[in-house]
Amino acid sequence: MEQLINELKLQIKEALNLEELTMEEFDENAPLFGEDGIGLDSIDVLEIIVLLEKQYGIRLNNPAEGKAIFQSVNTIAQYVQANRKK
Amino acid sequence: MISVLSTNITSPLGFTTEQNYRAVLSGSSALKRHEGLWGLPEPFAASLFSEELRAALAIDGHTFFESIAIRSIREALTHTRLDVASERVVLIVSTTKGNVEWLDTPHYYPSEAAQAIAQAIGLTTKPIVVCNACVSGLSAQLLADRLLSEGIYDYAIVVGAEVQSKFIVSGFQSLKAVSEEPCRPFDIERNGLNPGEAAATIVFAKTSDRESWQLLDGTTCNDAYHNVSPSPQGDGLTKAIDAVMTGRDKSRLATVCVHGTATLYNDQMESRAIERAGLSDVPLSALKGYYGHTMGAAGVLETILTMQATDDGIVLPTKGFTEPGISGKVSISSKPKKTDKHTFLKVMSGFGGCNVAALYKKGAGSKEQGARKGAGSEEQGARGIVKLEKTHTVRLSSKDEKTLTDIYKQEIGDYPKFYKMDFLSRLAFVAAETLSNSPLKGEDSLPLREGWGGSLILFNHSSSIIADRQFLSTISDKDNCFPSPSLFVYTLPNITAGEIAIRHHLKGETTFYILPDKDETLMQQILEATLRATGTTSAICGWVDAESETNYECELSMYNHT
Repeated sequence: MEQLINELKLQIKEALNLEELTMEEFDENAPLFGEDGIGLDSIDVLEIIVLLEKQYGIRLNNPAEGKAIFQSVNTIAQYVQANRKK
Repeated sequence: MISVLSTNITSPLGFTTEQNYRAVLSGSSALKRHEGLWGLPEPFAASLFSEELRAALAIDGHTFFESIAIRSIREALTHTRLDVASERVVLIVSTTKGNVEWLDTPHYYPSEAAQAIAQAIGLTTKPIVVCNACVSGLSAQLLADRLLSEGIYDYAIVVGAEVQSKFIVSGFQSLKAVSEEPCRPFDIERNGLNPGEAAATIVFAKTSDRESWQLLDGTTCNDAYHNVSPSPQGDGLTKAIDAVMTGRDKSRLATVCVHGTATLYNDQMESRAIERAGLSDVPLSALKGYYGHTMGAAGVLETILTMQATDDGIVLPTKGFTEPGISGKVSISSKPKKTDKHTFLKVMSGFGGCNVAALYKKGAGSKEQGARKGAGSEEQGARGIVKLEKTHTVRLSSKDEKTLTDIYKQEIGDYPKFYKMDFLSRLAFVAAETLSNSPLKGEDSLPLREGWGGSLILFNHSSSIIADRQFLSTISDKDNCFPSPSLFVYTLPNITAGEIAIRHHLKGETTFYILPDKDETLMQQILEATLRATGTTSAICGWVDAESETNYECELSMYNHT
């Protein structure tokens, strides 16, 4: 699990160009949205959906169902572990 | 105020305005579900020219995009006796992606396509391309109004055209914005837009007569909120409508032809703006159920159809609508309505945060509707009076020693979103930052002013070529096709203006033009006409062009009310 979390952090940082966020600062439990967290927006979510399909073969067509999944890197990792096809 | 000499719509529903109007009135739609088209893994509904229609419309030596634009203009011109070779006639082309299928050939450049169209028609003046996302078709008409009102030209041919492709459709699919079924504007079950193809032309004249349709007024406002999501309460659209309608009698409106893309966010936002602007009782019509979203053509096409319907005493029904699924109070129906009014409002909203409202009226000379009573709102009320002066200029180019990232790190540093922007936006952003910081260092000038009076007028030649190449690389491998939503957003060059608008809270006009070259005289004419026609009190204007990351040039100036 820890390995998957780190892998996801790297992939998300690269896909979303989070240039100034260091891996140390990137807390897997921090909320992805809002000013108290990583501060992602709706386009970032869509980009993570692409990432999940590309890297793990997971297709998620309805962004609304992603609400629970995209709370934090931790929740994404749990979802990936349960649903990954590659 | 300018008047309409003639019109044309060339679409899958017909090759003249009349044919199109009759088709729409009979409830026809060219929207069809397509599966496996262009190798796209997901199905989508779209309004596309069939192979037969494509063959009938194609012109030798021209791309299909150019062909439909040329056909549309030619047909519109048959109803006039316009001498197109006159230096008093200008061509304005509205498109979002033009010849994008011809990326990495000279045809790609929107101004090359516009020149090919101009030559085929026999025009001798330099064409102007308006590339302002979904609102382009209205932005193009507002430009026509300004150029004619300023006396720079006497006639303007405004053509809006869009051809669909894997590029555009996969991009909108990556944004989860495309429906597999015919779209349902304002409906509770709506789940996305349908891409559409069409060309539409309006020939405008400076002279007005009592018989023709007039473009009375128009305003562009930016949400300065987000490049893709509209302001939830429709702030920019409400402001644009208010700016046009203040002092005018709302009860005289036959209809508001809304944008109505049938995405969740657009229609919800529009309903809020309509209610906030006090137009809840005016019948709306949303026309995407007939044509899909024809993008660069939409603003022209939907304006023409609404003129035609209003002439016929009809408010067109909203095809696809059954049950309201928006929170704003609006009057919308799937059935046609009769009207005896002769004025209507056309509104559109687009990526990059821009919103346009334009007011049309049949016949000239009516004081009640033509001239507004009293002034507009405080900030916008200053139209035509404020004199703006160029206070600062910043130049950046690939010849500079410092890279854009160097400048960002050394002189800006507090806006991590910089790293998410495409190259063109980074270029414009760094230039605008440098501009907005410099007056504070100067002694006798004012800083950039935020708010509804702050405008951005940008020009270039290479459109969004770097982002287009990057996005294309995410879809060109058939077995590894993962269209990138964030890259797709930047394939609209006006997103550069949107980025600066968000950063500096500029909520006035944001418009992006594409020219054959950096023609200072033409840019100055457009700029001055814009500043005079709008309530701008502070503006960033100029050239922002990036052919590649090693070949770019940017020259932006700040204009301020001194």
